Amino acid sequence: MLLDPGMDLTLRPMRYPDFYERYRAAIRNTWTVEEVDLASDLADLARLTPEELHLVNRLVAFFATGDSIVANNLVLNLYKHVNAPEARLYLSRQLFEEAVHVQFYLTLLDTYLPDHDERVKAFAAIEHIPSIRAKAEFCFRWIDSIGKLDELTTRDDRRAFLLNLICFAACIEGLFFYGAFAYVYWLRSRGLLNGLASGTNWVFRDESMHMEFAFSVVDTVRAEEPDLFDADLTASVTRMIEEAVEAELAFARDLCGDGMPGMSADDMRRYLEYVADQRLTRLGLPARYGTANPFAFMELQDVQELSNFFERRVSAYQIGVEGSVAFDESF
Amino acid sequence: MTQQLDAPVETARGVLEAEVGRACAGLADAEPGRVLAAVRGTDAATDVAGLREQAIGEAAALVAVEPAYSRVAARLLNAHIAEEAASQGVRTFAESAAAAHREGLMADAPAAFVAANADALNALVDESADDRFEYFGLRTVYDRYLWRHPRTRRVLERPQFFLMRVAVGLAETVDDVRELYGLLSTLSYLPSSPTLFNSAARRSQLSSCFLLDAPRDELESIYERYAQVARLSKYAGGIGVSWTRVRSRGSLIQGTNGLSNGIVPWLRTLDSSVAAVNQGGRRKGAACVYLEPWHADVEEFLELRDNTGEDARRTHNLNLANWIPDEFMRRVERDEDWSLFDPKVTPELTDLYGDDFDRAYRAAEAAGKAVRTISARRLYGRMMRTLAETGNGWMTFKDISNRACNQTAEKGNVVHLSNLCTEILEVTSDGETAVCNLGSINLGAHVLPGGTVDWERLRATVRTAVRFLDRTIDRGFYPTGEAEKANKKWRPMGLGVMGLADVFFKLRLPFDSDEARTLSTRIAEEISLAAYGASADLAEAHGPHPAYDQTRTARGQLHIDHFPDAAITRPDAWDALRARVARTGLRNSLLIAVAPTATIASIAGCYECIEPQVSNLFKRETLSGEFLQINQYLVRDLKAEGLWLPEVREAIKRANGSVQGLADLPDDVRVLYRTAWELPQKALIDLAAARTPFIDQSQSLNLFMETPTIGKLSSMYAYAWRSGVKTTYYLRSRPATRIAQTTVSATEAVICSLENPETCEACQ
Repeated sequence: MLLDPGMDLTLRPMRYPDFYERYRAAIRNTWTVEEVDLASDLADLARLTPEELHLVNRLVAFFATGDSIVANNLVLNLYKHVNAPEARLYLSRQLFEEAVHVQFYLTLLDTYLPDHDERVKAFAAIEHIPSIRAKAEFCFRWIDSIGKLDELTTRDDRRAFLLNLICFAACIEGLFFYGAFAYVYWLRSRGLLNGLASGTNWVFRDESMHMEFAFSVVDTVRAEEPDLFDADLTASVTRMIEEAVEAELAFARDLCGDGMPGMSADDMRRYLEYVADQRLTRLGLPARYGTANPFAFMELQDVQELSNFFERRVSAYQIGVEGSVAFDESF
Repeated sequence: MTQQLDAPVETARGVLEAEVGRACAGLADAEPGRVLAAVRGTDAATDVAGLREQAIGEAAALVAVEPAYSRVAARLLNAHIAEEAASQGVRTFAESAAAAHREGLMADAPAAFVAANADALNALVDESADDRFEYFGLRTVYDRYLWRHPRTRRVLERPQFFLMRVAVGLAETVDDVRELYGLLSTLSYLPSSPTLFNSAARRSQLSSCFLLDAPRDELESIYERYAQVARLSKYAGGIGVSWTRVRSRGSLIQGTNGLSNGIVPWLRTLDSSVAAVNQGGRRKGAACVYLEPWHADVEEFLELRDNTGEDARRTHNLNLANWIPDEFMRRVERDEDWSLFDPKVTPELTDLYGDDFDRAYRAAEAAGKAVRTISARRLYGRMMRTLAETGNGWMTFKDISNRACNQTAEKGNVVHLSNLCTEILEVTSDGETAVCNLGSINLGAHVLPGGTVDWERLRATVRTAVRFLDRTIDRGFYPTGEAEKANKKWRPMGLGVMGLADVFFKLRLPFDSDEARTLSTRIAEEISLAAYGASADLAEAHGPHPAYDQTRTARGQLHIDHFPDAAITRPDAWDALRARVARTGLRNSLLIAVAPTATIASIAGCYECIEPQVSNLFKRETLSGEFLQINQYLVRDLKAEGLWLPEVREAIKRANGSVQGLADLPDDVRVLYRTAWELPQKALIDLAAARTPFIDQSQSLNLFMETPTIGKLSSMYAYAWRSGVKTTYYLRSRPATRIAQTTVSATEAVICSLENPETCEACQ
């Protein structure tokens, strides 16, 4: 079984071909930070209102550490216990993607904050900005929750592992990051910070794949060991998601202050509740909030883009194309 | 709070409510309440403008539910524009022109013309024409095209004043203005963006494309080209530049006894230079580099856009195109070897095409001059990989492009490359930079209510368009002497089309049907006939263009004569034209080119050039934000079937804009609304090939493949070459994975997966 202790190295016959396909799809979506053009953002930053600038500064301060935390949990907790070589292939790839994200946000902060002192402050946000600190502590708590586990020998071990996995997928990548992306797209909907948005498109794409992979691990474990999914686990997951919504909401209050046109802490609350319900539903659990999505601009993120190449680089290409020259294939 | 509020919340909201009510007037499916529901007054937005901004955003977002809200958003935005212009003292066209002149934007002559004819011109303005704009079109006009005060950045034009200004910039009389403005205000025809930006301006750079021959193989010439590229980019021109003459890696540099690093370092510098030039703040410079596949650096060239590998050997801003002789394609087909040369050793190859090239190429091989010999198929496969992975490395065909070109009658006049969008084919040389002025006819605006093409009106539009495109040649400001010299000598233009897909939707013709191909070819034939007729008229009045003697036309050969299989429906008209041209000559060496029309099709609210729709539902990302676009023809049909329901909308969204999974849809509707991804690409190539005889330059032909493989691509591009298509443009593909949809319910998405089609509620 997937969570059995050990170091399975056998790729054929492959037990979980779906994980391997996810790995291959991720490779085709390789992007690099150098492709993102942040130059136009600087002009936008200069014309933001003080409230908007505050929001952006807080946001990038969160980004400065978010992906590193995810990468750490991946290395310290997930890789160790997901015992299938094809799943570990995906996790290795995910680790690379997290590194690219870290590099992207590093480049972003270096670009946005030319002043040395401000830069140092932003990177240290996790120490001195309470709303960011609180989110980080939430993450650390869940990292630590299974940090001492070397093997998942008991059912309780496995449940603890599942909670960690679900936390990082549903709460951290699937809620904290989704919240952060919403601010980016709100700015984007007003024609601001296109560079940040275009990099975010790619980060968003990666993150949603990470989340889907994790959920697919959960599905697999559920199929293999259905008894792990009892009322206790349900209650724990729901409570965890509630806490995540609260933490993200505190962050939203910090970012939005008294609110700006089209973006306020209350809008964000509804969005977070909506997203949280989506995560619960995906996990096969009942929705907790029943709130509708307040952000029309997020609907746009679900629709295929068609860029004018004069204006933006097109992100819609694949690498690792296969096959050989032929003249009789249909097209 | 330091600022006094304009009005209390209630009052500002009252004003907005009335405005939204007016914006919904006459639109049966738009409800003011739905727009207003989302408008919230926070402390920061208690003025009408702030509330209106929210209302515009909300109406724009509602387009996915009901396309009529696009008009609502457009009307609200228009109110905003009118207010902004009024704040600058602009209420009439004459006031707009005066303000633009005062602020140093408008040139003296058009300003004097407007002042002298103020009443007559003001009377021409048709304010109701604003209602033809969809939201995205008007937004584009507002964000990018309307002239702004140099310091306040407020607009000095309203949409109709802008179109009037464009007409005035190209007019000699009030009647001229009436004629051209009549086409613009009905969105029947639009000139290209540089003309829209700069008509009547002090620096009236009106041309879209510039084509530069490769620099000579020496340092001074290479740096001179950078400077030319920069000057041309500055004024919103797109650049095509060949690099085939520059020596390859390892070639001896005699002056220093060193070895060359090849073309890549030079192209890196070009890349930086192009990115540094910001076209008047409107868009970044853009350039495409052409290389012939016998150049010994061709493999490194094909890697320039890869996002992996050493960044010092990458150019992220340059577009890349292959300029391919037939000999290469023949060897690919026969699976033969292909020799790579250093152009320093074989400088003659660049200036030869057809049989002459083949002979010289084989002679160079026989003389042992090749740097290296590789498998032709291996290189072709590498080209296909580049297309799949970057969309770049466009396949353009040197021999047909030269053989059929009107400008290549005399030896030494050679087409060395196409342009940034692969639709221009003109002769270049070291001292001659080819230029093209473009404009496109909105075909959808030439369909009669009964569902037939209004041929007479189409011809009239062509005649007007040709007359004013010809005028741009004289009115334009040229950033370089090389460009001016060439343009005045050849006087080429590129009259194209947009909205072909609209015509097919209106006539309910599937894109890949025989009827569609026949109609599309007939349209091309009519446009071509009318355009040549108009150019003959101009030649009669002003004389043929100065280099007319050097053209194939002067030798009795028209473009269609290169295509004995052309589907000609009006042989008599062609005979008459031929006789007439023999008498009058032509004012323009080239007339027809189908450009991509990315931005002007947005303004006109139609599908781009000759392209099928990319999706029934997609968003456009531009500098001014993201905008939802929905196929309004489809929505009309769905409404008629009683199928325009939330679950159907969700299903279309989930299927990335496809309707093929909607089982309730009648077959003919489903077939009609296939997207570019769902159409056989063979049909796109067949349509393009059938149209080619009537297009004396070329067409920006994008091809689409959801999941490209080398096998499919190599088959497709070999077919395109055999079909006689002169050039192709981007290969569009889709990302391997995409963002998990945020606003589509998580469980429904699972139910609707392809594994469980029978349980998909939306598809029942």
